[in-house]
Amino acid sequence: MDKSLKKKILIVEDDRSLQNALVEIISREGFEAVSAFDGEEAMEKLKEGKPDLILLDIILPKKDGYEVLEEIKKDEKTKNIPVLILTNLEEIDNVQKALDLGATTFMVKSDFSLKDILEKIKVALGQDVDKS
Amino acid sequence: MFWKFLDDINFIARCKKYNIGLWQCPNFLFLLMGIVTAAVMFGTYFLSQRFYDETTTIASVSLSAVLIMTIGYFIVQSAERLALANIIKTEFISILSHQLCSPLSSIKWNFEVLREDLKKNESFRKQEVFLNNIQEANEKMLKMVTQLLEVVRIDQGRVAFEMENIRLEGLIEEVIAELKNTCDDMKVGVDFQYDKNLPLVHADLKKMKVVLDNLISNAVKYSHKNGKIEVTAEKDNKGILLKIRDYGVGIPQYQHSRIFEKFFRSNNSSRYRTEGVGIGLYLAKAILKHFGGEVWFESKEGKGSTFYVSLPAAS
Repeated sequence: MDKSLKKKILIVEDDRSLQNALVEIISREGFEAVSAFDGEEAMEKLKEGKPDLILLDIILPKKDGYEVLEEIKKDEKTKNIPVLILTNLEEIDNVQKALDLGATTFMVKSDFSLKDILEKIKVALGQDVDKS
Repeated sequence: MFWKFLDDINFIARCKKYNIGLWQCPNFLFLLMGIVTAAVMFGTYFLSQRFYDETTTIASVSLSAVLIMTIGYFIVQSAERLALANIIKTEFISILSHQLCSPLSSIKWNFEVLREDLKKNESFRKQEVFLNNIQEANEKMLKMVTQLLEVVRIDQGRVAFEMENIRLEGLIEEVIAELKNTCDDMKVGVDFQYDKNLPLVHADLKKMKVVLDNLISNAVKYSHKNGKIEVTAEKDNKGILLKIRDYGVGIPQYQHSRIFEKFFRSNNSSRYRTEGVGIGLYLAKAILKHFGGEVWFESKEGKGSTFYVSLPAAS
């Protein structure tokens, strides 16, 4: 598939093994996966090229997910990119804060399989979800 | 100095965060002790003044003050130690559980990728058993960690509930299907009956599933081999009455009052089954309370137990 037709997904996650699994499953699905391992790297990758969707962890070194989310939503160029939070924090104040800052969805890692995450991604991108 | 003072006052907010009662909060107790000391001093002063001379009055007031403060000091010290121990326990559980979530999620996802690859392999049939074992062990750990975190959150009132109207019968069927492996291992049959036209209930789907899973898996796990359990959902005047009945080991009478306590496992249960942390029923009760529901039980040692859940119909 021509690279320019692939939807680009930015994955912001500091745990390398989780990144591996996410990148793999997302690439296999036909998307272009871009990794960022901390908040600052996430902002750099955003400048390099606008993604179509962002998977964002909250606990990150250098700059946490909330700060990244805030900055994304403040910038005219990036504020309409759907942001799916992927974290292990499940407390109500975390959920509320993320949604208030403009996150599209809040997913708790331990509750979601990779397949479930892919479905959420497709829904956010307005694609048809494969029901098989 | 002023900021430190404010910070001390803030301790009351900290006590609330860690779910420590006011009577265990050291700052509150210090304040109380101060008031009591002052009151005793005034009382002693007025009483002494009526009957004794100046010197005796001052002496008795001072003595009473010292006495009260000494007693108060020791009381507050033990309260402080207790409060600290509770805070440490809560934070420990929280931190440990959060730290475990990452590697457990990693196993879960990497496993999923691996499984997809291995399915294409010829020897998958032989490998499948071991893969299933690893997956099951991981899911068990994840479940335990998630429930521990939920307990801490519920204590602190920080649980995020997503309420919606749900079909309870459907959810029960799902839970029973997911417990198939456990049932097969124990050779326990599950009989589920429900009334037609059961009302919907207003609840959080995921949390309700946790409650049902806890109750039904308990019934299966504490049954004897080749036994059966009966699950019934009936319509009643409030909404739905759920009954989960097993004919297994039952609960000794003298432990009935402690069944819903955090980390409590009856002697019967720990003797019969070594795994389990003792938080399933505590969680179930707290979650159901949030939905306006109730849970109670009847049980006889050696005969089995029946757990009842009452839920209001969705308006």
